[in-house]
Amino acid sequence: MNYAMVRGLIWKDWYFQRMAILLAFLGGAVSLGVVAFGGRPGFTLGLILLVTVVVMLSAMTVMGNTIEEREKQTLAFVMSLPISYVEYTTSKILGNLLIFVPFWVVVVGGSVALIVVAPPIHGFFAFAVIMAVEILVSTCLMIAVALVSESKGWTIAAMVTGNLALNVVGYLVAHIAGIRKQMWGTAIYWNATATILVASEVALIALLLGGTFFIQSRKKDFI
Amino acid sequence: MNELAVQFEGVGKRYKHFSLENVDLELPTGSIMGFIGANGAGKSTTIRILMGLVHQDEGSVRVLGHSMPAEQAEAKLDIGFVSEDMRLYGAATLKWHMEFMRPIYPRWDQKYAEELARRFDLKPQQKIKGLSHGQRVKAALLLALARRPRLLVLDEPTTGLDPVARVEVLSELMAALADEERTILFSSHNTLDVEQISDQITFIDRGRIIDSDDKEAFLDRWRRLRLVLPPDVAVPRLPGVVEVGGSGRLPVLTTDRFEPAMVSVCNELGAAVQAVDTMTLEEIFVANVHSRREQLTA
Repeated sequence: MNYAMVRGLIWKDWYFQRMAILLAFLGGAVSLGVVAFGGRPGFTLGLILLVTVVVMLSAMTVMGNTIEEREKQTLAFVMSLPISYVEYTTSKILGNLLIFVPFWVVVVGGSVALIVVAPPIHGFFAFAVIMAVEILVSTCLMIAVALVSESKGWTIAAMVTGNLALNVVGYLVAHIAGIRKQMWGTAIYWNATATILVASEVALIALLLGGTFFIQSRKKDFI
Repeated sequence: MNELAVQFEGVGKRYKHFSLENVDLELPTGSIMGFIGANGAGKSTTIRILMGLVHQDEGSVRVLGHSMPAEQAEAKLDIGFVSEDMRLYGAATLKWHMEFMRPIYPRWDQKYAEELARRFDLKPQQKIKGLSHGQRVKAALLLALARRPRLLVLDEPTTGLDPVARVEVLSELMAALADEERTILFSSHNTLDVEQISDQITFIDRGRIIDSDDKEAFLDRWRRLRLVLPPDVAVPRLPGVVEVGGSGRLPVLTTDRFEPAMVSVCNELGAAVQAVDTMTLEEIFVANVHSRREQLTA
């Protein structure tokens, strides 16, 4: 593996997405502010804003770094560099994650901190963590579909599916007995159900990214 | 040192509506090969296989001693590639591209890059999206040449260029040829461009290599013989005749195996040779394609 080359490609993706990253951090900070200081209506509005900003960043980076590279025909330039398919795939997965995950960590960290310091919503702790990891699953789904399908249409379909899944998973998680019971309480809790759900999400992420590597390494036509 | 920069042996690639069949291609180190074919003939597919971007279904490909596509990363370190459908990043400047590529290529020549920018009248600070098509091609060529590649692969680089930009690009390519160790594969459907810079010519049509030879050998062995036939004299049977045109008593024979002795053979058979015309590379290409297509349909 040519790590220097992979590093260079990741840096390139960062460079081209720098405005989106900056705007996402600003949007994230504003949303957290609304959640923290907006009272009860602000809490709901801020959460919606926060999720919107997170989803927007993941969509913008995946579209910009992966799909646009093919649409704008810069992929031929990238693939003329001394890299293999696997190195390209590695750079795209890591590049997208390294743009998204730091922002995600800050936003999730901020949200969890708000839950920890606000006793009335202590019960949301486990639910918030599960849903935060679910957003990561949606992002990985989009990265995987974008790389494997190389299609804007399929990537948009993956984005829609991920967002719908977010609502469905949110509804289902909120109705699982192990979560529902403590969700509206005033104590921070973590139980086996929450662990199983988060572990399942992490396994799904591993499956999506591993599957992407597997398919990419067997592709015969790259351009 | 491997004396062949590029070697294709029995390479095939099948798509639903097109297939590349049994391609054998040898490009000796230091040579400049013009790769000529009509649109859709298989030039770009062949070049993508050479670059490791498309995997062949059968056959072997070696580029600069590396097996493709398995060792494409190592091979591409020594290849400069410019293709008609390659774009640079519109939101970045040429300077950004140069700085991005500099650490990747150990032989990157910054002075040469700056010299080329001056010669091509390119402003490194200008964003790529503000450049004309001709300037973009020159920028891509600059980035390919400044890495000092052992092999330069150019897939229709002059397509869509205005005459001035075309001459500038071709003259810079000819300057790059001064390095005897550098090998160039230049694909185009414009035979004039290819004729100017190549010393070897390969024709491809409908996914098959139909002819490959030195440029001079091509130009020497292809001729059109204009004959005048007296009544009762048949068209002489000459070797290598690929096309018989003209009218009944004034036939025009196109041969790919011309020898001066053919003139006396014609005379002995009663046919007067009115003229022996040399052919341009374009005429040779078209005659070659027509004759191969007729052979296939016969």
